[in-house]
Amino acid sequence: MAAWDLTVTVEDLGPDAPPLQISVTSDLHIGGVILKLVEQTNLKRDWSDHALWWEQKQQWLLRTGWTLDKCGVHADARLIFTPQHKPLRLGLPNGATLKMRACFSSPVFRTVMGICRVLNLRHPEELSLLRPVEEKKKKKDKDSSEELYDLTDVPLTAGSVQALYNGMPAHFADSPKTEAVYKMLSVSLPSPAPEAIAKLYRPASIVDKTHIHTRWLDSSRSLMQQGIQENDKLGLRFKYYTFHDMDPKYDAVRLTQLYEQARWAILLEDIDCTEEEMMLFGALQYHIGKQSLSQDMVSSCQGMDDLESALKSLEVKMVGDGNSTDMLDNMTAPELNDHLKIFRPKRLTLKGYKQYWCKFQETSISYYKSKEDRYGEPIQQLNLKGCEVAPDVNVAGQKFCIKLLIPAPEGMNEIYLRCENEKQYSQWMAACKLASKGLTLLDSSYQSEVQNIQTFLSMQRSSSAAPTSQTDESINTHSLVSPRYQKKYKPKQLTPRILEAYQNIAQLSLTSAILKFLQIWQALPDFGISYFMVRFKGSRKDEVLGIANNRLIRIDLGVGDVVKTWRYSNMRQWNVNWDIRQVAIEFDGNINIAFGCVNADCKVVHEYIGGYIFMSTRARQQSDTLNEELFHKLTGGHEAL
Amino acid sequence: MDDIDAMFSDMMQEMDLLTQSFEAETESAPLPKPPSIPAPQEMNFSIGFTDLNASLHDLEDNDLDALMADLVADISATEEKFATERDTFKGSAPVAQIPSQPQSNFNLIASTDTSRPATSSNSIAAPPPPPTSKPSKEELEEQMKADKIKLALEKLKEAKVKKLVVKVEITDGSSKTLMVDERQTVRDVMDNLFEKTHCDCNVDWSVCETNPDLQTERAFEDHENLVEPLSTWTRDTENKVLFQEKKDKYEVFRNPQNFYMWKKDKKSLKDMKDKDKEQLLESSCLVLHFWVQENFCGASVIVPDLEGILYLKEDGKKSWRQRYFLLRASGLYYSPKGKTKASRDLVCLVQFDNVNVYYCKEYRIKYKAPTDHCFILKHPQIQKESQYIKYLCCDDVWSMTLWVTGIRIAKYGKQLYDNYKAAVRKAAGSATWANRTIQTSSNASTPSPTPKAKAANGHASHPAVETKGPGNQTSFPPPPPPSMEILPPQPPDPMLPPPLPAPSSTTKVNKFPPPPQFPQSSIPPPPTDDLPPPPPPPEDAEQPPDFLPPPPTSMTSYGGAALPPPPPEPLASLPPPPPAPQNFASAGGAPPPPPPPPPPPAPAPAAYQPTNSVRKVAPSPPQRTTPQLAAPSGGDFMSELMTAMQKKRSQP
Repeated sequence: MAAWDLTVTVEDLGPDAPPLQISVTSDLHIGGVILKLVEQTNLKRDWSDHALWWEQKQQWLLRTGWTLDKCGVHADARLIFTPQHKPLRLGLPNGATLKMRACFSSPVFRTVMGICRVLNLRHPEELSLLRPVEEKKKKKDKDSSEELYDLTDVPLTAGSVQALYNGMPAHFADSPKTEAVYKMLSVSLPSPAPEAIAKLYRPASIVDKTHIHTRWLDSSRSLMQQGIQENDKLGLRFKYYTFHDMDPKYDAVRLTQLYEQARWAILLEDIDCTEEEMMLFGALQYHIGKQSLSQDMVSSCQGMDDLESALKSLEVKMVGDGNSTDMLDNMTAPELNDHLKIFRPKRLTLKGYKQYWCKFQETSISYYKSKEDRYGEPIQQLNLKGCEVAPDVNVAGQKFCIKLLIPAPEGMNEIYLRCENEKQYSQWMAACKLASKGLTLLDSSYQSEVQNIQTFLSMQRSSSAAPTSQTDESINTHSLVSPRYQKKYKPKQLTPRILEAYQNIAQLSLTSAILKFLQIWQALPDFGISYFMVRFKGSRKDEVLGIANNRLIRIDLGVGDVVKTWRYSNMRQWNVNWDIRQVAIEFDGNINIAFGCVNADCKVVHEYIGGYIFMSTRARQQSDTLNEELFHKLTGGHEAL
Repeated sequence: MDDIDAMFSDMMQEMDLLTQSFEAETESAPLPKPPSIPAPQEMNFSIGFTDLNASLHDLEDNDLDALMADLVADISATEEKFATERDTFKGSAPVAQIPSQPQSNFNLIASTDTSRPATSSNSIAAPPPPPTSKPSKEELEEQMKADKIKLALEKLKEAKVKKLVVKVEITDGSSKTLMVDERQTVRDVMDNLFEKTHCDCNVDWSVCETNPDLQTERAFEDHENLVEPLSTWTRDTENKVLFQEKKDKYEVFRNPQNFYMWKKDKKSLKDMKDKDKEQLLESSCLVLHFWVQENFCGASVIVPDLEGILYLKEDGKKSWRQRYFLLRASGLYYSPKGKTKASRDLVCLVQFDNVNVYYCKEYRIKYKAPTDHCFILKHPQIQKESQYIKYLCCDDVWSMTLWVTGIRIAKYGKQLYDNYKAAVRKAAGSATWANRTIQTSSNASTPSPTPKAKAANGHASHPAVETKGPGNQTSFPPPPPPSMEILPPQPPDPMLPPPLPAPSSTTKVNKFPPPPQFPQSSIPPPPTDDLPPPPPPPEDAEQPPDFLPPPPTSMTSYGGAALPPPPPEPLASLPPPPPAPQNFASAGGAPPPPPPPPPPPAPAPAAYQPTNSVRKVAPSPPQRTTPQLAAPSGGDFMSELMTAMQKKRSQP
């Protein structure tokens, strides 16, 4: 067989080095080509990660057993000898950019699995990569200064079980630098400045939302095949909104990143919510941010649990060890006694606040005319159990009122307590708050409740004192809500409302606060819908197709109203005609629909539907192994078959 | 009535004293105490009698009788316990001297402390180390001290437990009276009522409260506590507690498509039906699993996306105004005129944290509502018309059901589904439709992978996975003293056979936990000092722990600690014991009906003998005057109370 020259560029020789010419025959297999090539370079190094990339055909020659003939390589082919793993800049859900090595030769699905293994993210099938929004040229200069986390030195471990070291996977414990990366991954980042939120791209309409989903990469092809180059930037996001088997014990990174994605979705108005919901989201963000700050470095959730239980047992021990008088002291609930001003708007008096001597005991407030009368019958005793407590506070105006709505058979009794100062307010407020839940001052959460209220007050003080320029320490409540509410409310209007919502969640631990945030997010009506612009067969106008984890939704483009919903449970089959790029779906009862995609590749739509169906099969499987084959079968399209 | 009240308050004081003395005891060092003074036994009943007292006002005489039976049973069970313990202690005293004494006291208290939730009793049952191991004295003392402290804490907690006597009206016009403990859920109360009424235990049964002032009715959710809402009723209230079937209670789980696909016009649903009935049945099973799973088993509950026009009564006015309402997990919203339905424009009418939803009756007359299909949202403590109540009116019954159910889902979330599952378990024996929810349609004809996957997902096996036996309530707080459940709730039956002295030993077998020692009282019992009471004799195996509340808990707690628990019989499988008087006569075999009081001179340890009789039913006051040495105060009061009642009854 005649020998001919094959031209191969070896990247490691430098960009200016001429391509190598090696003499081959058509029955030489790829492995042989690589061997010859390596010999010719005279470089001694580890070549094991290198492979041949055929640029004209946009494909990898990965089967070393195949002959050149079988691969279709002839003398006109220009091959490139290049590493399969290259650095990639990953935009994470929390907004940070992480540089790490990813596989450019395997299907994106597997590449994501590799990335997630390094990041210690379970269930990689729920995530995927997407191209970033094109940024404007002038911003590019700024980008160079952005903080970049680097994990390129961390080797990709192959499928080994993650050993934990210092509460983090062993490969993060190598150096302070990588530890910092793990902290960034597993602890939620502080709230962004409100200006930063306002500057970021926000979808203004449902049409804008359809553009987001045109950017997903094809899971069944490699990065190189999709034109991604070394050091390019890609976004890593949760793509399928079914979060399987979430376990705070193992999912520190996953939970944090999911929370960040949800938080940004809300801040950037990707998903709509009501004002009440936004206040609760704001309060939760504040709480999570505060808890994350106070959480020391990277103590895994498991460690926290252990600590908590250890504390509990210690507590029990102390109770047991203490002598009985101590115990009895503890058993008699502490009281609060102070002068407070009380105002009952119901009485239609103009007198306003009147000073009384107040005693807080158990879950009730008793008030007396004066301190001297305190041993007699109180003027009134208010049992706060089941009441509503709302703050009415203006730090700048030194107004510290507690509004109580105490249920009674006739309705709610409205009573205001006016405190003198912050300290008094935080004590009484915390007591009221606990009492409304039936807890007494004895409850262990009392002190933390007092502190929470104080920090929140100080937050309001700083934001109302200097509304324009914030110091780094204080959080502006504007950074907790989306720009719409930033415009609608001034910080001093916003803070009390968030404080109000905050009181219901102040006791939550970090993990439960995150879970709660996700729970409310998932309960939003528009949760988990990915929008695509499509044109239905037989229709003349563009419409929007929403794909959710259980259903397809046909949405009117102009009004945004739901026209029709089909559920996967009624779906018999779906087909894609790749020639005319049309998706056809058949539902029970001979309902057939067909549509073409207007701005996205119909592979993306096809993959979304197949992906959700794949996700729904997971619960069945007992093992942790991912059924990759099934995923490709469901999402691959004709290329996979 | 006054003298009865006085009695009760006296009794209360007495108990207070007893608790105090007990506290004093626990505080002092573990001195050896004469075993004949076992610590305050009757602490079973809490001190919080004030409410009891109040609620007694409303009771008829016969109710009082039933109640008495309850209390008496309680006490007698306790006393028996003590008898057992004492006996066992006697036997063991020589073996382990001083240390064992308080030890036995503990056991005894732990076991008498029946109404405490399992956790706490476990904590008590667990710590005492077996004295046989003979640890050093200091260790023991320390241990005992710690135990005592723990115990004191428990006691204090226990003392605060509130109990109410509740009269429940049943659909057939009759009523039942029962004592409800603060820790009991509605589910527990209903389990009692099932036993009492012998109705089928289908999932629709509900305990409802009605308020004639507001003309409202609401079914309590199964997980709620009953005492709390009832104690917020006003003193002169006309509110009632009903026990009835409510079709819409769990309808959402039987036909979720009706709630989650309400938008589909009825015509298309009907068309579907006409097409192929069989296939629909099959697929609806599928759909049902799918829906329930999808909406209730996820991380968060999906609230039906209800929206539509409702009438809202304007604050403080008589007029009703149409508004476009939307239901979200976070609350009930409406969209103001001229605004879009987008989330950002919605106005929140109410959030569900502090309010409950109530059905209303005849508001067309009362409030000039456009229709009679109204519901209100209010704080549970509000009992009268108020500006803090949100009044809403729907066009038809179905949309009212939709909204009320939707609000319940939003408020209670997954809890509702858990309640439902528990109710299905309970009803498993009798109801047929329950099977339908469990069965998977294996021959689902849908080719696309989804439905199969969903169906196979294991939802089908869901009810089965919850392995607890239907009636095995060991994990529940014990039901209130049930002896009266078994009894005919009527006033003393003159036909009751007189006390039978001979079977008195056999009847004791019924008294669950300490069976053996009564017959054997003259023989020193085995030194089982550190051991829980011996397992019940075989006859008792039939008797589910639920029938005699006090002992079973202790039994189960012991079971948890060391011993094999007594065979818990599923409640559902138990045939309700017929309250026929013959049973009383043939006492020995029939477990549930407490035998009539035997006469005092039964052959048993003098001090504790009378306790047997205490167990017996109310109707025989005269005999109850037997001195009760073990619990002098409590017993005396009980009998005096009985006498007083008797007297009162005999008056014209």
